[in-house]
Amino acid sequence: MAATDPVTTKLPDVGGVLEEVSAAETPAGTSPWRLATRRLRRNKVALAFGLLFVLLVLSALAAPIWANNVADTGPNKTHLTDTIKLDGKDVNVVEFDGVPIGPQGFKADGKYFLGADGSGRDVMVRLLYGARNSLFIGITASIITVLLAVTLGLLAGYYRKWVDAVISRGLDVLWAFPVLLLGIALGVSLSLGGLNLGFTTVQGNSLWIPTLIIGFVSIVYLARPIRGQVLSLREKEFIEAARAQGASDGRIMFRELLPNMMSTILVFVPILVANAILLEAALSFLGAGVRPPNPSWGTMIADGIKLLVTSPHLTIVPGGMLVLTVLSLNVFGDGVRDALDPRATIKLDQ
Amino acid sequence: MRSTLRTLLGLMAVLVLALGAAACGGDDDDEKGGDTGGTPAAQSSGGIAKVNLTSFPDYMDPALAYTLEGWNSLWTVYTPLVSYKHEEGAAGAELIPGLAEALPEISNGGKTYTLKLRDGLKYSDGKPVKASDFEHTIKRVLNLESGGSAFYLGIEGAEEYVKKGRAKGDISGIETDDATGEITINLKEPDGSFQYVLGMDFAGIVPSDTPFENMTKNPPPGVGPFMIENMKQNRSFQLRKNPNFPQIEGIPEAKLDGVDVTIVKNQQRQTQDVIQNKVDWILDPPPPDQLRTVKSQYADRFEEYVTNSTYYFFMNERVKPFDDENVRKAVNFAIDKRALARLFGGLLEPGCNFLPPGMQGYEKIEDCPYGDPNAAPNVEEARRLIKEAGVDGTKVSVYGNDEDPSKPVAEYLADALNDIGFKAEPKIVEASVYFTTIGNQKTKAQIGFANWFQDFPHPRNFMFLVDGDSIQNTNNQNFGNVDDPEVNKLLDEANANANLDEAAPQYAEADRLLVEKAHIAPYGHRKLANFVSENVDFENCTLTHPVYELDLTQLCLTSGAS
Repeated sequence: MAATDPVTTKLPDVGGVLEEVSAAETPAGTSPWRLATRRLRRNKVALAFGLLFVLLVLSALAAPIWANNVADTGPNKTHLTDTIKLDGKDVNVVEFDGVPIGPQGFKADGKYFLGADGSGRDVMVRLLYGARNSLFIGITASIITVLLAVTLGLLAGYYRKWVDAVISRGLDVLWAFPVLLLGIALGVSLSLGGLNLGFTTVQGNSLWIPTLIIGFVSIVYLARPIRGQVLSLREKEFIEAARAQGASDGRIMFRELLPNMMSTILVFVPILVANAILLEAALSFLGAGVRPPNPSWGTMIADGIKLLVTSPHLTIVPGGMLVLTVLSLNVFGDGVRDALDPRATIKLDQ
Repeated sequence: MRSTLRTLLGLMAVLVLALGAAACGGDDDDEKGGDTGGTPAAQSSGGIAKVNLTSFPDYMDPALAYTLEGWNSLWTVYTPLVSYKHEEGAAGAELIPGLAEALPEISNGGKTYTLKLRDGLKYSDGKPVKASDFEHTIKRVLNLESGGSAFYLGIEGAEEYVKKGRAKGDISGIETDDATGEITINLKEPDGSFQYVLGMDFAGIVPSDTPFENMTKNPPPGVGPFMIENMKQNRSFQLRKNPNFPQIEGIPEAKLDGVDVTIVKNQQRQTQDVIQNKVDWILDPPPPDQLRTVKSQYADRFEEYVTNSTYYFFMNERVKPFDDENVRKAVNFAIDKRALARLFGGLLEPGCNFLPPGMQGYEKIEDCPYGDPNAAPNVEEARRLIKEAGVDGTKVSVYGNDEDPSKPVAEYLADALNDIGFKAEPKIVEASVYFTTIGNQKTKAQIGFANWFQDFPHPRNFMFLVDGDSIQNTNNQNFGNVDDPEVNKLLDEANANANLDEAAPQYAEADRLLVEKAHIAPYGHRKLANFVSENVDFENCTLTHPVYELDLTQLCLTSGAS
């Protein structure tokens, strides 16, 4: 298979661990997954960013711990007229002119560690809860995308003819809409009445609304490459062999074709998650994603814009988190792609 | 040749400058002679002021304009039969004859209004003003389905005119005589506020040949201190001194030669431009981000004022749990008006009256029943009332729209309601459909953000928001479905009385009852601000009118600037 491909290629030196070698150098008799794992472990930069993403996930999971034990407040709790003691003096959390307190670090025992927003809410607490919401939407939407896109891609590529025509034209229609505008239209229209799925109704302020929207609008990015790959694989000898043995269509699709596309899917996952997080932030920024008062990095940036001059931390902090998360996923995704690339030339033995 | 040309150009430049200076001087002399208010020595008349608006007026047609952006300019271009004094505070809310010789003579039990047009009036294009122009003006308001058409449906035959849909049809309740200038208006029922309706910008007289269409691109001529020139829709327009404006007592000539109005979306840039004297006045106050700097560093050209507006929470009395008076009282006890003022960047005057302080009929409710608006709320009492009513744990949707300050205010209220035992969540609706959404009975909006800025300085213009007679299934403005027989009776009597001095105590009593019975939860009155450049004579030329905000006719530049 791919690992025995004798082609010699020159890849960009990601993280300084790649070098020009022949694929023939790869040890014989090792499974492609093990090879990929070994290649990934050699890519220190990708691993570092992968670790950063894990840390972000862990900090998001720890949000209630910080909120209950350090900040002593919830993500939606307003403190407009409260004061805190700083150097023995009472200081307003929000001044009379609406300007909130800036980042305090541990000066107030961790309260308002990153300052307060215009409603006197603790920015650190909202940032952590916002991370939970952003990551939940990003990861869940990507799972939805993968499930739907793989199914549609398999069906279109395997059956071809009218099945392919219907699915491909449907994807063309979806492709024709600008994703952000489609997301805004769906987000705004579903925010009031919710989404009736027949067996259940999703409330308008539920996180599932932006999750389903993002999961749906992203299908086209994965379904098309999957379809293309299926069209190519279905002509291979191992599929013909399966057919000759009397395997059903379902078995061929899910037991023969799907495992051979896993590397493609895995390469897409980090990119899909990163894009979903970005799209969620954009939709929330525009008021069509996470509904107030629930925090998300997008809504936090939108809330902070009006105080950009006096309280820049309100936009810089969630913006910075967004950059870090997307960067970590993209760099890690690049690493995964390089590791799974059949023409990869990462030196394995050192 | 070159040097000769240069000399000639130089001489021409000197000549132009000299003529310009002479023109300025001439205006100055005129102003000193004509201005009833007197012109300080430091200021000079004439010159062109630069003004920025954040958004273009909804319409530049008096029949259609229904935003402050539009009214602020159009008031200076179109004068109705009755108008307002160009004064600040309560004096500015006083009606004076506009294009009519005198205020209307009211007869037939308050149903007939008779006026006479002033002699010799001319539009800015020089054509004479006729009495029949008034009927045409009202027909345009009705025919174009203007936002202001509801105000004129009380005229006899107005509804029939609208139903027939014929632009050139007749409104039976309006009789005009071009020869004598007499105008008679018959109402279906007595309406004590109709004089004020006649003074609205919608009734600013336009010529009879003005088409029945939106004239924003080519505004019709009017009778006012200014006229509109160089209209570039959504970008800019110019106000220029109207050479045909007659002497009308109480409506002074414009002090400036003109005003250049430009749309600049970015409020921070607007503020910066005023700081740097590139722009002379901005309609919107500086954004919260820059307010602190402006207040501290440019206090000598910045002033805040309280508008005739009210911000309040509606509580739908047809929907649980707000059908219970004690629950509504609990909400009033729970809200912290000091906190809400902070959400307005300090530009909110906390209060507990529904009527705003500048409105006739306003009597400050001393000892607000739910505590001092400038003190901490009584949350314990609110919790007790909620427990007593047995509604703790009830789910409540708090409605607000996605614009500032509505969104943070709705979020705050949800948090405050959670504090007293509800399970509240904000429900944020897109701003353009917010009021139609909560004004639809099918929505069953429980509680939420509402506000009102006066259309005209008469308490009826506020009280219809809580009058049982105004409840509708759709487009309802009485969001809380307030229908208190005691309040309704007071309003019915007061509304029919054309003498506001007599009716004012009844409005004040209705205001007190609304608050005491917790039909609404008012929390304050919006402040706006004037921020001007150093070119403007801030002391003498920034007149804030109670209806139209900064009076552009009274704006003037310092001698150096003009």
